[in-house]
Amino acid sequence: MKTGIFICHCGHNIKHTVDVKKLSTYFKMFPSVTVSEDYPFVCSEPGQDMIKDSIEKHGLDRVIIASCTPSLHQELFKDLLKKSDLNPFLLRRVGIREHCSWVGDDVDKNTEKAIRLIKAGLYSSSHYVPLEEKRVDVTKSALIIGGGVSGLSAAVFLSKMGMQVYLVEKEAELGGHTRNLKNIWPIGEDGTLIIEEMEKELQGRENVEIFTSTTISSFEGSFGNYEAVLLTRAGEKRIVAGGVIVAIGFSPFDPQIKPELAYGIDKRIITTMDFERSIDALSLPENPRIAILHCVGSRDEQIGKPYCSRVCCINALRVADTVKEKYKDSYVESFYMDVRAHPRGGEEFFEDTQEKGVLFTRSNIAEIIPGSKGVLVRGEDTLFNELFEREFDLVVLSIGMSPPEDNRLISSLLKITLDKDKFFLEAHVKLRPYDTAVKGIFIAGACSGPKDIEESINHGRASATKLYGFLNLGYAFVEPFIAFVDMKRCSGCRMCEKACVAKAIKFDETKRLVHVEEAACMGCGLCNATCPSSAIGLRGYLDNVIDDEISALVEAV
Amino acid sequence: MSEDKTDKNQEIIGFACSFCTFKASEMAGSLRMKYPDGVRLVQVPCSSRVDPAFVIKSILEGADGAFVAGCHPGDCHFIKGNYFTRRKIAALKEMFDAFSMKDKLRLFWVSAAEARRFVEKVTGMYNEIKEKKNAGKTN
Ligand code: SF4
Ligand code: SF4
Repeated sequence: MKTGIFICHCGHNIKHTVDVKKLSTYFKMFPSVTVSEDYPFVCSEPGQDMIKDSIEKHGLDRVIIASCTPSLHQELFKDLLKKSDLNPFLLRRVGIREHCSWVGDDVDKNTEKAIRLIKAGLYSSSHYVPLEEKRVDVTKSALIIGGGVSGLSAAVFLSKMGMQVYLVEKEAELGGHTRNLKNIWPIGEDGTLIIEEMEKELQGRENVEIFTSTTISSFEGSFGNYEAVLLTRAGEKRIVAGGVIVAIGFSPFDPQIKPELAYGIDKRIITTMDFERSIDALSLPENPRIAILHCVGSRDEQIGKPYCSRVCCINALRVADTVKEKYKDSYVESFYMDVRAHPRGGEEFFEDTQEKGVLFTRSNIAEIIPGSKGVLVRGEDTLFNELFEREFDLVVLSIGMSPPEDNRLISSLLKITLDKDKFFLEAHVKLRPYDTAVKGIFIAGACSGPKDIEESINHGRASATKLYGFLNLGYAFVEPFIAFVDMKRCSGCRMCEKACVAKAIKFDETKRLVHVEEAACMGCGLCNATCPSSAIGLRGYLDNVIDDEISALVEAV
Repeated sequence: MSEDKTDKNQEIIGFACSFCTFKASEMAGSLRMKYPDGVRLVQVPCSSRVDPAFVIKSILEGADGAFVAGCHPGDCHFIKGNYFTRRKIAALKEMFDAFSMKDKLRLFWVSAAEARRFVEKVTGMYNEIKEKKNAGKTN
C-alpha cells in the first residue's frame, strides 16, 4: 500500500496547538506510508497541487488529509483525487482541527491525540475499496412548505425556471404575516400588495399547484424522489418531489407569557402587530401619551429567548414615527435596552425619530399596571440607576419572533434539526446556510431564525436557486455508502430483513439468501450491525474499517 | 506523577452518528469548547450501525469507557435506527453490569444543535470514570 499523509497547519489554527512537524516526521516511519508532509494550507491551490503531484509522482493509492472536520472541503478533495486519476473513495479525512486543535490547549496532549486520529485513518483506510458514486434519477419538482413571503418567492423563481412546484400552506390564504402589514419599513409598502404581486406571478402557470388549508401527514423517500401525503380540504393527495423547501415562517411572541406586562387584560396595552391592524381605530386623546417597549420576547434569558429578533427595533421606531406624524404634540417614550436598527437606513431612521421628539429611555421594565386614568409603566432607568413610574394612554409592546408553532412537527416528519432556540438549523452557518443536513431539503425565511421581509425574500430565492441546481439535470449522484450481501456467508436467517426499516432487503425463496435493493437502501448500517454471520456489510463503514479504527484509537503508544 | 499517568492513559471511545452527535462535536470544536483529549470519536452513519462488538472491542483493547451517541428518540434520520440502538445498548448494559463495569458504557442523545450538551456529556463521563479509577488506586 502506498499511502500519502498530508497534514494541514490551517495557518495558526492547527499549528498553534498541535506539533505538525512531529506528526509528519512520525508517520514517515510506517512502511505503508510513502509520503508524509505538513503544509500551511492544504486546501489552497499550491496545497492541492502538492497533493496532486505527490499522487502522480509516487503512484499513491491512499490519501489521508488531516485537516479540518471531514465534512468541510470534502468535495474539493474528492475532485482532487479524481483529477489525479485516483478513485475519490480512497480518500480519508481526519479532523485534527474541530476534533483536536480547537478542543484543548495542551500541545503535547493534542499532538498525541492527533497521532491517534491519523493512525485510525491510516489503519482503517487500508480496507477501503474503490467505489462508484451512484447515479439516481431525480424528479424535477419541488415541494414548498409555507406560503409566506419566502415560500412564495421560492415558488415564483422555480416556476419561472420551468420546474413543477407544489406549494402547501396550512392557512386558508397565502401571504403569512406579511399580508397583515400595511406599512412596511422603509418606504411604507403595503404587505398585501407584495403578496398579491407574487400571487399574480404564479397565476395561470401550469407547473404550479397551490394547496391552501393543507397540512402534510406523511413524508418518505429519499433525495430526488421524496413522497409526501398532503391533507387537503378535499382529502388526501400524494405528491412526489425531488426536493423540499421549508419556509414555515415564525410565530409572533405571545406577551401573555409574561403576565407582568398585563397584555390581554386591558385594551390599552397592545402589540406592534395589533397597532398595525388597528391604527385607525384607536381612540386616543388629542395629545396622547404613548409608551413603546422594545425587546418583548427577545434577549430575555428568563423565558428562554436569548436571541435578538432583529425586526422589532425597527417596528418600535416605526410605531413611534407614525404616532409623531399623526399627533404632533404627543408624548412618546421608547423603553429600550439597546437600539439595534441594523438594516440599511435604520440608524438614520433612529436619528429622525429622536429629532421628532421621541424620548428614548434605557431601562428595564418591571411591570405594567392598568389604572382608571392611565396605564402605569414601572421600571428602572439603567443610565441613571433610578426607579420610575409613568402613566400613559397607550402601551405598545414591540414583540419578537418565536419559532413557528409547527417546528417540531416538521422537524420530525422531515428529519431535519432544530437549533437551541428551536428554529431550523442550517447544515453550516457560513458554508451551507440554506441547506439542512438532509440532501435536497432546504430552509428559507424566518423559520431558520428571525429575518425581515427583504431577508426572507432573499433567503427564499437563494434556497430555490440551490434546489434548482440540485434537480435541474434530472439526475444526480449520491454517495455509494449502502449495504451489500456476501452470498457465501449469508445463512438466510432473515434477521437483517426484519431489522431494515427501509424494506431494502429481499429474501430469495429459491436460493434462501437475501439481497439488498440498492435504490431503497438508506445506508444506516443497521443490517450490518444485526447480521450474526457478518454476511451483510455497509460500504464505507465495513466491520474491519471500524475495528481497525478502534484499535488505533486505544492502542497503547 | 500517578495522577498524570491516569490522566494520560484515560481513553473514551465514542461512536457518534453523522447526522447529530458528530455534527454537535464539530460545532463544539468550532466554538472552541474544551473537553478532555482522551475523548475520541468514531463517526458512524447512524447509531444503529454500532455493533455491540465494537463497544466490547473498545473496552477489551484498553479503553476506559465507550459511549454510543445518536439523535434524540423520534428524530432519527433513518426513521427508527436509534430505537434499535436503545434496545441493543440496554441489553449490553446488563452484560456490562454483570461484570461490574456498568459505568464504562453510556448512551447519549445529542442533537446536531447541542454542542454544549455534547461537551457536558463527554466531560461528565470522563470525569466520573477518572474518579472511580483514582479511588480504586488509593484503596
Ligand atoms: S443499510 Fe439500513 S436501509 Fe440499507 S439495507 Fe441495511 S438496514 Fe436496510
Ligand atoms: S442477517 Fe446476515 S445471514 Fe441473516 S439473512 Fe441477513 S445477511 Fe443473511
